[in-house]
Amino acid sequence: MTQSFFEWMQGLSFSAWMLEETWASPIIQCMHLVALVAFAGAVLVVDMRLLGRGLIKTSTARLARELDRWMIWSFVALFVTGAPQVLSTALKQYYSPFFWWKMQIIVIGLVFTFTIRRRVAFAEEGTLGHWPKVVGVLSIGIWTSVSVWARLIGLLS
Amino acid sequence: MRSAFEWVDALPSSIALRESLNAYPTLLTTHVVSMCLFAGLIAFWDMRLVGLTLRKVPVSNIPTRLFPWALTGYGINLITGGLLLYSQPMRYYDNFYFWAKMALMAVAGFNMLWFHYATYKSVQAWDQGREIPMSARLAGVVSLALWAGVVVTGRMMAYAGLMPEWWNNLNIGA
Ligand code: HEM
Ligand code: HEM
Repeated sequence: MTQSFFEWMQGLSFSAWMLEETWASPIIQCMHLVALVAFAGAVLVVDMRLLGRGLIKTSTARLARELDRWMIWSFVALFVTGAPQVLSTALKQYYSPFFWWKMQIIVIGLVFTFTIRRRVAFAEEGTLGHWPKVVGVLSIGIWTSVSVWARLIGLLS
Repeated sequence: MRSAFEWVDALPSSIALRESLNAYPTLLTTHVVSMCLFAGLIAFWDMRLVGLTLRKVPVSNIPTRLFPWALTGYGINLITGGLLLYSQPMRYYDNFYFWAKMALMAVAGFNMLWFHYATYKSVQAWDQGREIPMSARLAGVVSLALWAGVVVTGRMMAYAGLMPEWWNNLNIGA
Protein backbone atom coordinates (compact mmCIF):
# COMPACT_ATOMS: atom_id res chain seq x y z
CA MET A 1 0.00 0.00 0.00
CA THR A 2 2.59 2.54 1.17
CA GLN A 3 5.11 1.09 -1.22
CA SER A 4 2.83 1.42 -4.22
CA PHE A 5 2.13 5.03 -3.23
CA PHE A 6 5.86 5.76 -3.28
CA GLU A 7 6.21 3.93 -6.58
CA TRP A 8 3.41 6.07 -7.97
CA MET A 9 5.18 9.27 -6.81
CA GLN A 10 8.42 8.12 -8.37
CA GLY A 11 6.62 7.47 -11.66
CA LEU A 12 5.10 10.95 -12.01
CA SER A 13 6.24 13.01 -14.97
CA PHE A 14 7.10 15.79 -12.49
CA SER A 15 9.61 13.44 -10.83
CA ALA A 16 11.15 12.62 -14.18
CA TRP A 17 11.40 16.33 -14.96
CA MET A 18 13.11 17.04 -11.60
CA LEU A 19 15.71 14.39 -12.33
CA GLU A 20 16.32 15.46 -15.90
CA GLU A 21 16.54 19.19 -15.29
CA THR A 22 20.13 19.65 -14.11
CA TRP A 23 19.45 22.67 -11.91
CA ALA A 24 16.08 21.69 -10.43
CA SER A 25 17.31 19.55 -7.53
CA PRO A 26 20.26 21.72 -6.48
CA ILE A 27 18.16 24.89 -6.47
CA ILE A 28 15.44 23.24 -4.42
CA GLN A 29 17.99 21.83 -1.98
CA CYS A 30 19.51 25.28 -1.50
CA MET A 31 16.07 26.76 -0.88
CA HIS A 32 15.32 23.99 1.65
CA LEU A 33 18.46 25.02 3.56
CA VAL A 34 17.68 28.74 3.46
CA ALA A 35 14.18 27.95 4.78
CA LEU A 36 15.81 25.78 7.44
CA VAL A 37 17.92 28.70 8.67
CA ALA A 38 14.82 30.91 9.00
CA PHE A 39 12.92 28.15 10.77
CA ALA A 40 15.81 27.46 13.14
CA GLY A 41 16.12 31.13 14.07
CA ALA A 42 12.39 31.58 14.70
CA VAL A 43 12.22 28.46 16.88
CA LEU A 44 15.49 29.05 18.69
CA VAL A 45 14.90 32.63 19.82
CA VAL A 46 11.76 31.47 21.67
CA ASP A 47 13.29 28.21 22.95
CA MET A 48 16.26 30.08 24.37
CA ARG A 49 13.88 32.48 26.08
CA LEU A 50 12.02 29.50 27.59
CA LEU A 51 15.40 28.42 28.95
CA GLY A 52 15.92 31.84 30.50
CA ARG A 53 18.61 32.79 27.96
CA GLY A 54 18.78 35.21 25.10
CA LEU A 55 16.29 38.08 24.95
CA ILE A 56 15.23 37.97 28.60
CA LYS A 57 14.16 41.62 28.72
CA THR A 58 11.20 40.79 26.50
CA SER A 59 8.46 38.44 27.73
CA THR A 60 8.31 34.93 26.27
CA ALA A 61 4.71 35.46 25.18
CA ARG A 62 5.59 38.58 23.23
CA LEU A 63 8.53 36.91 21.48
CA ALA A 64 6.43 33.83 20.73
CA ARG A 65 3.57 35.90 19.32
CA GLU A 66 5.94 37.87 17.09
CA LEU A 67 7.90 34.87 15.85
CA ASP A 68 4.94 32.54 15.39
CA ARG A 69 4.32 33.54 11.80
CA TRP A 70 8.01 33.34 10.92
CA MET A 71 8.07 29.83 12.27
CA ILE A 72 4.89 28.82 10.43
CA TRP A 73 5.82 30.37 7.10
CA SER A 74 9.35 29.02 7.13
CA PHE A 75 7.91 25.59 7.88
CA VAL A 76 5.61 26.01 4.89
CA ALA A 77 8.71 26.85 2.84
CA LEU A 78 10.42 23.69 4.16
CA PHE A 79 7.40 21.65 3.13
CA VAL A 80 7.14 23.26 -0.30
CA THR A 81 10.86 22.65 -0.99
CA GLY A 82 10.90 19.22 0.69
CA ALA A 83 7.90 17.68 -1.10
CA PRO A 84 9.35 17.87 -4.65
CA GLN A 85 12.47 16.10 -3.36
CA VAL A 86 10.31 13.35 -1.90
CA LEU A 87 8.56 12.99 -5.27
CA SER A 88 11.72 12.83 -7.35
CA THR A 89 13.56 10.43 -5.02
CA ALA A 90 10.51 8.60 -3.64
CA LEU A 91 12.01 5.11 -3.70
CA LYS A 92 15.28 6.22 -2.09
CA GLN A 93 13.25 7.90 0.65
CA TYR A 94 10.99 4.87 1.05
CA TYR A 95 13.95 2.59 1.70
CA SER A 96 15.77 5.02 4.01
CA PRO A 97 15.07 4.53 7.73
CA PHE A 98 16.25 8.11 8.31
CA PHE A 99 13.48 9.48 6.10
CA TRP A 100 10.84 7.73 8.21
CA TRP A 101 12.44 8.86 11.46
CA LYS A 102 12.55 12.40 10.14
CA MET A 103 8.87 12.37 9.16
CA GLN A 104 7.72 10.79 12.41
CA ILE A 105 9.66 13.28 14.49
CA ILE A 106 8.33 16.17 12.39
CA VAL A 107 4.77 15.04 13.20
CA ILE A 108 5.65 14.77 16.89
CA GLY A 109 7.35 18.17 16.70
CA LEU A 110 4.35 19.86 15.09
CA VAL A 111 1.89 18.43 17.63
CA PHE A 112 4.21 19.37 20.50
CA THR A 113 4.77 22.88 19.13
CA PHE A 114 1.12 23.71 18.63
CA THR A 115 -0.13 22.23 21.90
CA ILE A 116 2.29 22.13 24.83
CA ARG A 117 4.96 24.57 23.66
CA ARG A 118 2.41 27.15 22.60
CA ARG A 119 0.55 26.93 25.90
CA VAL A 120 3.74 27.24 27.93
CA ALA A 121 5.14 30.10 25.83
CA PHE A 122 1.93 32.11 26.11
CA ALA A 123 1.45 31.44 29.83
CA GLU A 124 2.01 34.15 32.39
CA GLU A 125 5.68 34.49 33.30
CA GLY A 126 6.81 32.62 36.40
CA THR A 127 3.66 30.55 36.93
CA LEU A 128 4.95 27.24 35.59
CA GLY A 129 8.07 26.52 37.60
CA HIS A 130 10.60 24.52 35.64
CA TRP A 131 8.26 23.54 32.80
CA PRO A 132 9.35 26.25 30.37
CA LYS A 133 12.92 24.93 30.58
CA VAL A 134 11.81 21.36 29.93
CA VAL A 135 9.77 22.51 26.93
CA GLY A 136 12.66 24.57 25.55
CA VAL A 137 15.07 21.65 25.76
CA LEU A 138 12.57 19.27 24.15
CA SER A 139 11.87 21.68 21.30
CA ILE A 140 15.56 22.21 20.53
CA GLY A 141 16.13 18.45 20.78
CA ILE A 142 13.25 17.57 18.46
CA TRP A 143 14.21 19.94 15.65
CA THR A 144 17.92 19.19 15.95
CA SER A 145 17.22 15.49 15.57
CA VAL A 146 15.02 16.19 12.54
CA SER A 147 17.97 17.99 10.92
CA VAL A 148 20.40 15.21 11.79
CA TRP A 149 18.20 12.42 10.33
CA ALA A 150 17.48 14.60 7.31
CA ARG A 151 21.15 15.11 6.53
CA LEU A 152 21.86 11.40 7.00
CA ILE A 153 19.28 10.45 4.34
CA GLY A 154 21.60 11.85 1.72
CA LEU A 155 24.82 10.66 3.34
CA LEU A 156 23.99 7.12 4.38
CA SER A 157 21.15 5.90 2.15
CA MET B 1 48.26 28.30 -2.77
CA ARG B 2 48.14 25.06 -4.70
CA SER B 3 51.23 23.70 -3.01
CA ALA B 4 49.70 24.41 0.42
CA PHE B 5 46.62 22.40 -0.55
CA GLU B 6 48.77 19.59 -1.90
CA TRP B 7 50.90 19.61 1.23
CA VAL B 8 47.81 19.21 3.47
CA ASP B 9 46.47 16.53 1.13
CA ALA B 10 49.54 14.39 1.78
CA LEU B 11 49.55 14.74 5.59
CA PRO B 12 48.81 11.49 7.43
CA SER B 13 46.09 13.15 9.54
CA SER B 14 44.35 14.44 6.41
CA ILE B 15 44.51 11.00 4.82
CA ALA B 16 43.19 9.39 8.01
CA LEU B 17 40.21 11.75 8.10
CA ARG B 18 39.56 11.22 4.39
CA GLU B 19 39.59 7.46 4.76
CA SER B 20 37.48 7.36 7.91
CA LEU B 21 33.93 6.22 7.17
CA ASN B 22 32.41 8.24 9.98
CA ALA B 23 34.31 11.51 9.75
CA TYR B 24 32.58 13.04 6.71
CA PRO B 25 28.96 12.30 7.74
CA THR B 26 29.62 13.40 11.33
CA LEU B 27 31.41 16.61 10.36
CA LEU B 28 28.92 17.59 7.65
CA THR B 29 25.91 16.96 9.89
CA THR B 30 27.49 18.97 12.73
CA HIS B 31 28.31 21.68 10.19
CA VAL B 32 24.64 21.95 9.21
CA VAL B 33 23.34 21.96 12.78
CA SER B 34 25.85 24.58 13.95
CA MET B 35 25.00 26.63 10.86
CA CYS B 36 21.41 26.70 12.14
CA LEU B 37 22.52 28.13 15.48
CA PHE B 38 24.74 30.76 13.89
CA ALA B 39 22.85 31.75 10.75
CA GLY B 40 19.41 31.40 12.37
CA LEU B 41 20.23 33.95 15.07
CA ILE B 42 22.11 36.28 12.72
CA ALA B 43 19.18 36.24 10.29
CA PHE B 44 16.83 37.53 12.99
CA TRP B 45 19.34 40.16 14.05
CA ASP B 46 19.57 41.33 10.44
CA MET B 47 15.81 41.34 10.10
CA ARG B 48 15.55 43.39 13.29
CA LEU B 49 17.90 45.95 11.72
CA VAL B 50 15.85 46.01 8.54
CA GLY B 51 12.73 46.45 10.68
CA LEU B 52 11.02 43.24 9.55
CA THR B 53 10.51 41.68 12.96
CA LEU B 54 11.15 41.94 16.74
CA ARG B 55 10.51 45.67 16.54
CA LYS B 56 9.68 45.88 20.24
CA VAL B 57 13.00 44.39 21.30
CA PRO B 58 15.63 47.13 21.89
CA VAL B 59 18.24 46.82 19.15
CA SER B 60 21.17 46.71 21.58
CA ASN B 61 19.63 43.72 23.39
CA ILE B 62 20.46 41.41 20.54
CA PRO B 63 24.25 41.79 20.36
CA THR B 64 24.60 41.49 24.14
CA ARG B 65 22.15 38.59 24.58
CA LEU B 66 22.24 36.61 21.35
CA PHE B 67 25.73 37.10 19.91
CA PRO B 68 27.50 34.83 22.41
CA TRP B 69 25.27 31.98 21.18
CA ALA B 70 25.66 32.91 17.55
CA LEU B 71 29.43 33.02 17.99
CA THR B 72 29.39 29.60 19.64
CA GLY B 73 27.57 28.28 16.57
CA TYR B 74 30.04 30.00 14.30
CA GLY B 75 32.98 28.52 16.21
CA ILE B 76 31.66 24.98 15.74
CA ASN B 77 30.84 25.82 12.13
CA LEU B 78 34.40 27.02 11.55
CA ILE B 79 35.96 23.96 13.15
CA THR B 80 33.78 21.42 11.31
CA GLY B 81 34.10 23.32 8.02
CA GLY B 82 37.86 23.57 8.51
CA LEU B 83 38.14 19.83 9.16
CA LEU B 84 36.01 19.00 6.11
CA LEU B 85 38.37 21.12 4.04
CA TYR B 86 41.41 19.59 5.73
CA SER B 87 40.18 16.09 4.92
CA GLN B 88 39.81 16.64 1.15
CA PRO B 89 41.71 19.80 0.15
CA MET B 90 42.13 18.76 -3.47
CA ARG B 91 38.42 18.12 -3.82
CA TYR B 92 37.73 21.75 -2.98
CA TYR B 93 40.77 23.42 -4.53
CA ASP B 94 39.25 23.72 -8.01
CA ASN B 95 35.69 24.10 -6.69
CA PHE B 96 34.16 27.42 -7.73
CA TYR B 97 31.53 27.36 -4.99
CA PHE B 98 34.17 26.82 -2.30
CA TRP B 99 36.05 30.00 -3.27
CA ALA B 100 32.80 31.91 -3.78
CA LYS B 101 31.68 30.86 -0.30
CA MET B 102 34.96 32.02 1.27
CA ALA B 103 34.75 35.35 -0.59
CA LEU B 104 31.13 35.93 0.46
CA MET B 105 32.05 35.13 4.05
CA ALA B 106 34.93 37.62 3.94
CA VAL B 107 32.65 40.37 2.59
CA ALA B 108 30.03 39.53 5.24
CA GLY B 109 32.76 39.90 7.87
CA PHE B 110 33.76 43.31 6.54
CA ASN B 111 30.14 44.41 6.50
CA MET B 112 29.82 43.36 10.14
CA LEU B 113 32.98 45.21 11.21
CA TRP B 114 32.00 48.34 9.34
CA PHE B 115 28.57 48.28 10.89
CA HIS B 116 29.98 47.68 14.33
CA TYR B 117 32.62 50.43 14.24
CA ALA B 118 30.64 53.04 12.32
CA THR B 119 26.86 52.74 12.32
CA TYR B 120 26.40 50.96 15.64
CA LYS B 121 28.22 53.71 17.57
CA SER B 122 25.06 55.82 17.50
CA VAL B 123 22.75 53.00 18.63
CA GLN B 124 21.59 54.86 21.75
CA ALA B 125 19.72 57.28 19.51
CA TRP B 126 17.67 54.59 17.79
CA ASP B 127 17.71 51.71 20.26
CA GLN B 128 14.03 51.75 21.20
CA GLY B 129 12.50 53.69 18.37
CA ARG B 130 11.13 52.45 15.11
CA GLU B 131 13.25 54.84 13.07
CA ILE B 132 16.29 52.78 12.24
CA PRO B 133 18.87 54.75 10.22
CA MET B 134 19.19 53.88 6.56
CA SER B 135 22.82 52.77 6.97
CA ALA B 136 21.77 50.20 9.58
CA ARG B 137 18.95 48.87 7.40
CA LEU B 138 21.31 48.62 4.49
CA ALA B 139 23.83 46.69 6.58
CA GLY B 140 21.00 44.30 7.51
CA VAL B 141 19.88 43.70 3.92
CA VAL B 142 23.45 43.22 2.72
CA SER B 143 24.16 40.79 5.55
CA LEU B 144 21.01 38.74 4.84
CA ALA B 145 21.93 38.45 1.17
CA LEU B 146 25.55 37.54 1.88
CA TRP B 147 24.78 34.83 4.44
CA ALA B 148 22.09 33.35 2.20
CA GLY B 149 24.81 33.27 -0.46
CA VAL B 150 27.11 31.42 1.92
CA VAL B 151 24.41 28.80 2.57
CA VAL B 152 23.72 28.37 -1.14
CA THR B 153 27.37 28.16 -2.20
CA GLY B 154 27.94 25.78 0.75
CA ARG B 155 25.35 23.37 -0.60
CA MET B 156 26.51 23.82 -4.20
CA MET B 157 30.05 22.67 -3.33
CA ALA B 158 28.74 19.12 -3.67
CA TYR B 159 27.95 19.74 -7.37
CA ALA B 160 31.36 19.54 -8.99
CA GLY B 161 29.64 19.16 -12.37
CA LEU B 162 27.80 22.48 -12.12
CA MET B 163 30.66 25.00 -12.05
CA PRO B 164 30.30 28.02 -14.37
CA GLU B 165 31.76 27.59 -17.85
CA TRP B 166 34.29 30.43 -17.48
CA TRP B 167 35.56 28.89 -14.26
CA ASN B 168 36.12 25.51 -15.92
CA ASN B 169 38.01 27.30 -18.67
CA LEU B 170 40.51 28.63 -16.12
CA ASN B 171 41.55 25.01 -15.61
CA ILE B 172 42.59 25.56 -12.02
CA GLY B 173 42.66 21.87 -11.18
CA ALA B 174 45.08 20.93 -13.93
C1 HEM C 1 7.25 18.17 5.76
C2 HEM C 1 8.29 18.90 5.51
C3 HEM C 1 9.59 18.38 4.93
C4 HEM C 1 9.82 17.54 3.86
C5 HEM C 1 8.78 16.89 2.95
C6 HEM C 1 11.26 17.40 3.74
C7 HEM C 1 11.91 16.62 2.79
C8 HEM C 1 13.27 16.54 2.61
C9 HEM C 1 13.95 15.73 1.63
C10 HEM C 1 13.27 14.77 0.67
C11 HEM C 1 15.29 15.95 1.74
C12 HEM C 1 16.40 15.34 0.91
C13 HEM C 1 17.01 14.20 1.62
C14 HEM C 1 17.99 13.48 0.75
O1 HEM C 1 17.55 12.67 -0.06
O2 HEM C 1 19.18 13.77 0.86
C15 HEM C 1 15.46 16.91 2.81
C16 HEM C 1 16.67 17.40 3.27
C17 HEM C 1 16.85 18.07 4.45
N1 HEM C 1 15.85 18.53 5.30
FE1 HEM C 1 13.87 18.36 4.98
N2 HEM C 1 11.87 18.13 4.72
C18 HEM C 1 10.88 18.73 5.49
C19 HEM C 1 11.04 19.51 6.61
C20 HEM C 1 12.26 19.70 7.25
C21 HEM C 1 12.43 20.25 8.58
C22 HEM C 1 11.30 20.71 9.49
C23 HEM C 1 13.78 20.28 8.83
C24 HEM C 1 14.56 20.74 10.04
C25 HEM C 1 14.09 21.23 11.12
C26 HEM C 1 14.45 19.74 7.66
C27 HEM C 1 15.84 19.63 7.52
C28 HEM C 1 16.47 19.10 6.41
C29 HEM C 1 17.90 19.02 6.26
C30 HEM C 1 18.96 19.53 7.26
C31 HEM C 1 18.14 18.37 5.03
C32 HEM C 1 19.49 18.06 4.42
C33 HEM C 1 19.83 19.23 3.57
C34 HEM C 1 20.88 19.00 2.56
O3 HEM C 1 20.56 18.55 1.45
O4 HEM C 1 22.02 19.31 2.83
N3 HEM C 1 13.50 19.41 6.72
N4 HEM C 1 14.21 17.26 3.32
C1 HEM D 1 35.70 28.89 7.26
C2 HEM D 1 34.53 28.39 7.45
C3 HEM D 1 33.93 27.27 6.64
C4 HEM D 1 34.56 26.27 5.93
C5 HEM D 1 36.04 26.01 5.74
C6 HEM D 1 33.50 25.47 5.35
C7 HEM D 1 33.72 24.34 4.57
C8 HEM D 1 32.72 23.50 4.12
C9 HEM D 1 32.93 22.24 3.45
C10 HEM D 1 34.30 21.65 3.13
C11 HEM D 1 31.72 21.71 3.17
C12 HEM D 1 31.44 20.36 2.51
C13 HEM D 1 30.99 20.50 1.10
C14 HEM D 1 30.72 19.16 0.48
O1 HEM D 1 31.59 18.26 0.59
O2 HEM D 1 29.66 19.00 -0.11
C15 HEM D 1 30.72 22.65 3.63
C16 HEM D 1 29.35 22.49 3.49
C17 HEM D 1 28.41 23.47 3.82
N1 HEM D 1 28.64 24.66 4.49
FE1 HEM D 1 30.46 25.29 5.12
N2 HEM D 1 32.28 26.00 5.70
C18 HEM D 1 32.50 27.10 6.50
C19 HEM D 1 31.53 27.94 7.05
C20 HEM D 1 30.17 27.91 6.74
C21 HEM D 1 29.19 28.87 7.14
C22 HEM D 1 29.47 30.10 7.99
C23 HEM D 1 27.99 28.47 6.61
C24 HEM D 1 26.60 29.08 6.69
C25 HEM D 1 26.28 30.20 7.19
C26 HEM D 1 28.20 27.25 5.89
C27 HEM D 1 27.24 26.55 5.20
C28 HEM D 1 27.43 25.33 4.60
C29 HEM D 1 26.38 24.56 3.99
C30 HEM D 1 24.90 24.93 3.90
C31 HEM D 1 26.98 23.39 3.51
C32 HEM D 1 26.28 22.24 2.78
C33 HEM D 1 25.79 21.29 3.81
C34 HEM D 1 25.02 20.17 3.24
O3 HEM D 1 25.42 19.62 2.19
O4 HEM D 1 24.00 19.81 3.84
N3 HEM D 1 29.55 26.92 5.99
N4 HEM D 1 31.35 23.73 4.22
